[in-house]
Amino acid sequence: MQRKPPPGQIHTMLLSSALLLTACQAPDPSDAFDSDYSPPRTSYGDPDLQGIWSNAVITPLERPRDLGDKEFLTPEEAAVYEQERLAATNRDQRPDNVATDVGNAYNNFWWDSGDNVVATRRTSLIVDPPDGRIPPLTAEAERRLESDPGFLGRRAADTFANFTDGPEQQDLMTRCIQFGSAGPPMLPSAYNNNYHLVQTEDHVLIINEMVHETRVIPLDGRAPLPKGLRQWLGSSRGHFDGDTLVVETSNFRPETAFRGASENMRLTERFTRIDDNVLLYEFTVDDPSTFTRPWTAQIPSVRVDDLMYEYACHEGNRGLYGILAGARAAEAAAEAD
Amino acid sequence: MRVIRIIIAAAMLASVSICAHAQQPGSAALTALIERAPDGRPKLDGIWQALAPANWDIRPHAARPGALDQLGALGAEPPGLGVVEGGEIPYQAWALEQQRDNYAKRLELDTEVKCFMPGVPRANYMGHPLQIFQSEQYVMIAYQFANAVRTIHMNDPGPAPTSFWMGWSVGRWEGDTLVVDVTNQKADTWFDRAGNFHSGAMRVVERYTPLGPNHLQYEATIEDPEVFTEPWTISLPLYRRVEAGAELLEFKCIPFSEEVLYGHLRRGADPEDENAADDTE
Repeated sequence: MQRKPPPGQIHTMLLSSALLLTACQAPDPSDAFDSDYSPPRTSYGDPDLQGIWSNAVITPLERPRDLGDKEFLTPEEAAVYEQERLAATNRDQRPDNVATDVGNAYNNFWWDSGDNVVATRRTSLIVDPPDGRIPPLTAEAERRLESDPGFLGRRAADTFANFTDGPEQQDLMTRCIQFGSAGPPMLPSAYNNNYHLVQTEDHVLIINEMVHETRVIPLDGRAPLPKGLRQWLGSSRGHFDGDTLVVETSNFRPETAFRGASENMRLTERFTRIDDNVLLYEFTVDDPSTFTRPWTAQIPSVRVDDLMYEYACHEGNRGLYGILAGARAAEAAAEAD
Repeated sequence: MRVIRIIIAAAMLASVSICAHAQQPGSAALTALIERAPDGRPKLDGIWQALAPANWDIRPHAARPGALDQLGALGAEPPGLGVVEGGEIPYQAWALEQQRDNYAKRLELDTEVKCFMPGVPRANYMGHPLQIFQSEQYVMIAYQFANAVRTIHMNDPGPAPTSFWMGWSVGRWEGDTLVVDVTNQKADTWFDRAGNFHSGAMRVVERYTPLGPNHLQYEATIEDPEVFTEPWTISLPLYRRVEAGAELLEFKCIPFSEEVLYGHLRRGADPEDENAADDTE
């Protein structure tokens, strides 16, 4: 799908970034984007945020450590960063090393993570805390993650040699159960960065292209689900705060563990249309049992003038089948030796 | 005698008027209560659910044992009057054989067991609720089962570029009826757990007609010349979930399907599990 913003739009976004610079320490977009832009309205008077939006952007969630306290790239630095990133992630190559070659099975045809940094040229998607990084973990979270570092942690530490024992030992993405990019919160990812936002008078529907995650968000002020009823996508409730759609989500399952968070994570997402082609998406993660302070990230979602199609991950999951069948074949071969 | 006849006639009239007061779905009194958009179209927004046990078998069927004896009465299949108009599905001869074979192998072949998106029309009568959203541009249907979702294009975007598990839906209004043309579905999905099936050439024309504020008549005409001798129609009511705070909950069934899909590939599992009995002889 087409993702690049038209040139005029970049200009507007840069203008917005200038305004943002003067509004440091203010993650609230109503302060940060004090432009004259007024979003179109639905027939019933709500700000019209509908459409297909793309989060494809190569700015990292956290500011790379070597950038220190550098909050923004210059246009020249941004161009260099984009070129380097494209070169580094170019997968249209055939290395001699078989394992590396297989690792590149998803070549550039599949890769759809965007070519550009955010228009503000901020060095991280995280805008608060000011260092652009996820705040330090609490002692409680350190203990929790030490006793269960999660799938990626275990695999990285090579303490989980049995990760091909069965489907449950694989990570949630490989099982098509949940992708970090679909969230909530949503984050840019290697592909399927689009989401379709649909509004009615009493509901908002957010369909994420990634594994067709569909969030039904009531706007009628109802209470969250009962505490014991926990869901992979949590329980979301929305309301409008001026021109901003605010969605609050709780009732997560412990397995979701977004960036190490516990099931007690409270997520606040804000969607603000800052011009015809940009829906500013912000989220704040609040989990005092995991992070020493709340943190906020900002992604300018760019309008996509195209259709979004069904992504059926589980239905076509030959990958997990192959991983397990391959492991069994390797065992059989080792036994035969 | 004459007096008796008059009494009977009066009683019949009374019963007619009692029926009218009971306000059957579709009666003028109830259709007057249908919520409408400013343009006069019915608003189908809300959570709906089928009560007919059509997902077990869309044809008329008596109660019968389930696929797994271990579940006892819990797994037994409830009876149903069927939702196929006329009762019979006009299968081609080979296809009727195929359906019987499908039923025998349903635990292995039914994509519901595998938690695949169920396709149309099955998604509408699975015993899970669905939610309709009527925006200014689209009609969307979100399903509890497998988090499936459909975009019904009210402005025809042109032909589908490929096939989809939930098909390609283009809608229009005919009076108070939302008519949806559904094409480009996968051949793998079935109509029910009884192995009733179709090919990838199937075209489904759905009709959603409100009969009152809380009833929605659902009809679907099935055309598939590769499998059937003629088009046929199913029809059943969908009921509004009227309880306060009703909402779709999550039924991410992938974890529930993994033993069926991948159990034979676990470390230590017998890859030829079905032949395990032969090995022990």
